[in-house]
Amino acid sequence: MSTLIFRTIAPYLSALMVLFSVFVLLRGHNEPGGGFIGGLIAASALAIYGIAYGVDVVRRALWVDPNALAGFGLFMAAVDGLSAILAGKPLLTGLWFVPVIFGVEIPLSTVLVFDVGVYFVVVGSLASIALALEESD
Amino acid sequence: MPHRLLPVLLALFIPSLAVAAPSGGEVDRSVAMFEGATGLIPWLVVLPILMPLIGAGLSLTVRSRSSVQHRIAFVALLFGAIAALALFLQVSANGPLTMVAGNWLPPFGIVMAVDPFGALLVLVTALVGLAGLAYARGDVDEAGTHFGFYTFYCLLIAGVTGAFSTGDIFNLYVWFEVFLVSSFGLIVLGGRRVQLDGAVKYGVLNLIATTIFLIAVGVLYGFTGTLNMADIHLVVAELDGAPIVTVGAMFVMAFAMKAAAIPLHFWLPASYHTPKVIVSALFAGLLTKVGIYSLMRVMIMLFADQGSMFIPIIGWLGVITAIFGAVGALAQVDLKRMAAFLVVSGVGVMLIGLGYGTEAGLTGAIVYAVHSILAMTAIFLVLGYAQRLSGVTHLTTGTNLYAVHGLAATLFLVFGFAAAGLPPFSGFWPKLMLVEAGYQTGDVFGIAGIVGIILSGLFTTIAIGRAWVLVYLRPPQEDGVPDPEPTLEPGASTRPFALALVALAALIVAMGLFPSTVIDAARSGAQGLLDPAAYLERVLKVE
Amino acid sequence: MSLQPDLMLWLALAPFVAALFAPALVRRIGSSAGWVLAIVPAALFLMFVTMVPQIAAGDTVSYGVDWAPSFAVRYSHLIDGLSLTFALLVTGIGTFIVIYAGGYLSGHHQQGRFLAFLLLFMGAMLGLVIADDLVSMFVFYELTSITSFLLIGFDHTRAPARRAALQALVVTGSGGLALLAGFILIRVVSGETSVSELFASPDVLRDAALYPAIFVLVILGAFTKSAQVPFHSWLPNAMEAPTPVSAYLHSATMVKAGVFVLMRFSPVLGDTALWETVLPLFGGATFLTGVLLGVRQTDLKQILAYTTVASLGLLVMLTGVGTEYALAGAVLYLVAHALFKGALFMVAGAIDHETGTRDITILGGLLKSMPITFVAAILGCLSMAGLPPMIGFIAKEVLYDGVWEAGGVSAVTVTALVGNALMFALAAAVLIPFFAKPGELPKKPHEAPPSLWLGPIVLGVLALVGAFMIEGTAHSLISPMTSAIAGEAVELHLHLWPTGLYPPVILTMITIALGIVFFIFFKTLRLLMVDLLETVGWGPDVGFDQLMRGLVKGSHALTKRLQSGAMQQYVTLTFVILAAVLLLPIAVDGLPDFRFVGEVDQPFDLVILGLAVAGLWVVIISKSRLVAIVSLGVQGVMVALIFMLYGAPDLSFTQFMVETLSVVILALVMTRLDLKTVDHRLPADAMKDGVIALACGLGFALVLYNTVQQPFDDRLSQFFLKHAYEIAHGRNVVNVILVDYRALDTLGEISVVMAAGLAILALIRMGPRLKSAVVGPPADRADATRVGAEPSAATIAAERPS
Repeated sequence: MSTLIFRTIAPYLSALMVLFSVFVLLRGHNEPGGGFIGGLIAASALAIYGIAYGVDVVRRALWVDPNALAGFGLFMAAVDGLSAILAGKPLLTGLWFVPVIFGVEIPLSTVLVFDVGVYFVVVGSLASIALALEESD
Repeated sequence: MPHRLLPVLLALFIPSLAVAAPSGGEVDRSVAMFEGATGLIPWLVVLPILMPLIGAGLSLTVRSRSSVQHRIAFVALLFGAIAALALFLQVSANGPLTMVAGNWLPPFGIVMAVDPFGALLVLVTALVGLAGLAYARGDVDEAGTHFGFYTFYCLLIAGVTGAFSTGDIFNLYVWFEVFLVSSFGLIVLGGRRVQLDGAVKYGVLNLIATTIFLIAVGVLYGFTGTLNMADIHLVVAELDGAPIVTVGAMFVMAFAMKAAAIPLHFWLPASYHTPKVIVSALFAGLLTKVGIYSLMRVMIMLFADQGSMFIPIIGWLGVITAIFGAVGALAQVDLKRMAAFLVVSGVGVMLIGLGYGTEAGLTGAIVYAVHSILAMTAIFLVLGYAQRLSGVTHLTTGTNLYAVHGLAATLFLVFGFAAAGLPPFSGFWPKLMLVEAGYQTGDVFGIAGIVGIILSGLFTTIAIGRAWVLVYLRPPQEDGVPDPEPTLEPGASTRPFALALVALAALIVAMGLFPSTVIDAARSGAQGLLDPAAYLERVLKVE
Repeated sequence: MSLQPDLMLWLALAPFVAALFAPALVRRIGSSAGWVLAIVPAALFLMFVTMVPQIAAGDTVSYGVDWAPSFAVRYSHLIDGLSLTFALLVTGIGTFIVIYAGGYLSGHHQQGRFLAFLLLFMGAMLGLVIADDLVSMFVFYELTSITSFLLIGFDHTRAPARRAALQALVVTGSGGLALLAGFILIRVVSGETSVSELFASPDVLRDAALYPAIFVLVILGAFTKSAQVPFHSWLPNAMEAPTPVSAYLHSATMVKAGVFVLMRFSPVLGDTALWETVLPLFGGATFLTGVLLGVRQTDLKQILAYTTVASLGLLVMLTGVGTEYALAGAVLYLVAHALFKGALFMVAGAIDHETGTRDITILGGLLKSMPITFVAAILGCLSMAGLPPMIGFIAKEVLYDGVWEAGGVSAVTVTALVGNALMFALAAAVLIPFFAKPGELPKKPHEAPPSLWLGPIVLGVLALVGAFMIEGTAHSLISPMTSAIAGEAVELHLHLWPTGLYPPVILTMITIALGIVFFIFFKTLRLLMVDLLETVGWGPDVGFDQLMRGLVKGSHALTKRLQSGAMQQYVTLTFVILAAVLLLPIAVDGLPDFRFVGEVDQPFDLVILGLAVAGLWVVIISKSRLVAIVSLGVQGVMVALIFMLYGAPDLSFTQFMVETLSVVILALVMTRLDLKTVDHRLPADAMKDGVIALACGLGFALVLYNTVQQPFDDRLSQFFLKHAYEIAHGRNVVNVILVDYRALDTLGEISVVMAAGLAILALIRMGPRLKSAVVGPPADRADATRVGAEPSAATIAAERPS
């Protein structure tokens, strides 16, 4: 698999895919996309990078243990669900803040935070499986 | 893989055009959402789930620091347990409590709804979870922690609690999956050969059950157009009986399998003796009870009259399960396998109560469920403790623990007699209540149920008595079998074990001596299942 | 009543509290703890003594508190002649037993535990006899069985002791379950929950259609506990327990719990043909069996044990006869027996303690070395033999009165005569150690310490004083108790010395004459019995072992079929049941009405369907697993395409990703597991599996068909669509569903994903031996193969005394 061409394009491909995954995540509420798919794409990116350069490189590049990332994602989503308590609303109620910065409406919401949590979980878990499988071959 | 089916199910929600468009004009939120503020009290419904869930996430986040994980899990479960206690008191005093996730009007949002039945089980789950965690401190090694023991543990508690608290049938499925996957994670920790064999059987058979459940949910949604349990109760009552029968049968099969009713019990004795003791103990206490709970919730409350044809079938399965489970226990030489069969036998007793279908029968079954959670967890834990002290795992070797370690011996006897239904321990009351409920039905099945309960009690007593005599009373060297090595490391503290066991013993004895709290809660739980008026009112016309 | 009822309820539990402190007390002050702990039963005894005048005057007292009100259970007492007499025996004899145990087990390292068990038993027995509520009576009844189990196994290093403990548990435990079923049936049939309520409507049970069921269940409980034939053998085996236990539990009190239950329920269950046939029959058989087997014994304790069995038979027989004097005889005999048998067991223990043996063929000459013990022994033996001036004598007179009054020369009378004569001979045999020429004794005998002789002397003297003051005894204890059993007021007039030559006196004279003859030929008689038993070679005791072994073996054989360990079998059975679940309701209701519900919008749909079917076909026919896995993916991808075409790109994409991942992971796992790449099933098996699969598939298809035929209620979808943008701020409904409408499901699902990732990691990292996992024998059969060597049956056999 680790042909020269593959090794050459792999970093660019991976980087592009990760960027795309973030894009898919962020636009998810209005266009096809969201945390789940974004996470799947990002995990694939890491897997490709791992195949090209070996698992250790990916692990170093990631900075954090992928499973810890997944754990953090769940933590984030759960705490996000709990946060509605501050607004006097029930669990997981979507709260929206739309500040206007330089004339641009930026829709921030607990819903988005939740989706980011989903993204982290999917990236972390799938990357962890992929890396472990690649490593043990 | 049930995950392959999930998108398909999701597709059922999707209208033909998946893109929403603004309709223009003023937005009237009141048609879709509750207006007023939510107080703090409804949060009690979700905190027992949310706390362990947060604990699971956080403990995995700090994966590299094993020492912190136990503390995180403990704090999370402690808060969860406090919330569960408050929830139980609240529900006992004021009836069902609900919270709608996302604030969407029922039946459109996911309702978490806890009635006395649910609250009782949530509380016991939380207590057992805490006690088990104390034990885990001594039982789980560095590698286990590193590969997520505490994460799985918290998730398991969250999943089971979620199943006991949800008012949405698809959400129930989600919690089933949560505790199934986390239990699978727990069962493979350790990686010994027998563990993996057990894990494969556990995993495959449970996946089949869960998948059947998922398909049943999908079909039920197709029939009713709703997932809210209260709403389903109303819609199902209107349906023509014919097609709904198959759906009901699928639910019965899925839950009977989760509950390990004979002849769908195989996964349980195949896997319960293989993992770490704390894992087996938690499984024994909690997992089958979720099956029983769901059977009651779905077949008695949701299906009501439409499900009445299944109730006797469940009852007869219960008779078979109660008797052959105990017979299986008698056949075992491995102590943990014996305990696994005792779990099966207990499942049978609960199914008998369900099969009576009367308030008395259901009350007895619920009280038995509480007892079974406590006693079955405890019996596995004490076997593990004894094994650490003496190294003995089979009836073939004596330990003399009676003389050298009175605490372990006493606790084994307490838990064993509790399981056998002897007074003054927790198992006595439900047995009594179920026998009385059996007479009250006044039919053949009533008597068959009593025979099942009595035989189960008798065989269990014999099995426990044999174990006590052959393992605890008998000195080791008698048969020339070489002394097994204790697995407790020299100098290691036995305090985590003793603490957990004594706490459970206190609960079991307390339930034996002061049964009223549990019986009262169980009775109002049973009444709620048979006549869910209060539940419906709280769920569908909240506030 | 001199004490507040509430206070009585709690004071009766004092022995339990004392039991908790017993071990600590022994650790602190050693064996003198016995003297201290004896204060508890002694105080209780005095408390009950103060109640005697009131009860003798004909009162009954009942009081209690709610225990489990929602199940109509109370903790309540019923004090009448029956319970008061029993309470006095339990606490009175208990006092001396506790003192005795302090001396007998002096220095034993588990003395604290022993005293604790003993006091636990005392609390249970006291609770049983004074209980009013049926459920609380049963609770205490079971507690006596449990404590007896613990005490029999006390000498746990000896195999016979362990076997005896298990036997007692099994026999009394099964009886207990029968009694439970009986008590609950009484509650259901009568609607009453306590004895005193039942007494208020005495005919409610006798008139019930279910009376025979209640009767059988109750007497099963009573007969097992009171060691009636054929359940008797646990009692002699229970003599493995230390002597204080034998004296207290297995003669004076606990074994009388069965008799107590019969007497307690005699007013509401008795006086029927069933009662008057079954009880005398089994009681009489037990009486004769007990004395005959007793003759065979040479161990002092065993002789006493078998005579206890006999006495219990006699009591059951008399309770069954049920006439006024028969009942009075039973009551007198019960009291007499508690006194003399308690005393004689303590004597036997003292002899054992001082000489190191209990074998009457070796013992001798103790008259000189143990004179005080001898006094206790002679008092006990006189009473046991039924000789004046002891209370045992009066008991025998009255019981002869009773049986004569009931039927003259009847089977019962003859049984009583023969049994009593043998009892006389056995009583004489107990005295052999004092008079015979001594053999080789393990220890040089000398007099026992006061703690060991105090109890038997006091009990013996009581048997004497009770007889001399028979008018008072009759008035204060015997008549009230007889009344309680008869269910009507009875006033007895008893005398120590007979006033004329009426039939009972003649029967007594025959008994004594016959007894002397038996004693003269005692050795011959013993050898005869030994021969007889050897010829028969089987008895309930052997039967118990056979039963246990059969039970274990049988359950093992059965379980091997139920839980074979073969995954294939489990899965096959599961799918067969699934097929039945899916198809049976349809078979009953008939097939759905086939109409073509939809129409094909786009011809492309058919292409997709065709491809999906083709993929599945390849799955079935492919020889290689890898090909099968990939082809399975084809079908999933086609589903993704359908999503795409019907306007759900998110879902389509997710489905596609999930499908790809499933294929990759499955393929990896397959290769890593090194499974055989080809299917190696026999054609017949493959065919069978195929049929099951088709049946399941057909079932699912029909269910789905049924579903789509229903008009679909799409209010959920409509709601989601309607509010997605305006309230939930999202145009992509799928995403709004995921993160808002049903975000809680998503929260659960991401934790599933997280856990799955972690679990797979654990599998890969912790399981380098993954290959062997699947190749080796299955876990749940590993055990089965071990059992194949039958250690289960062997272990129980090993517990048999050699």
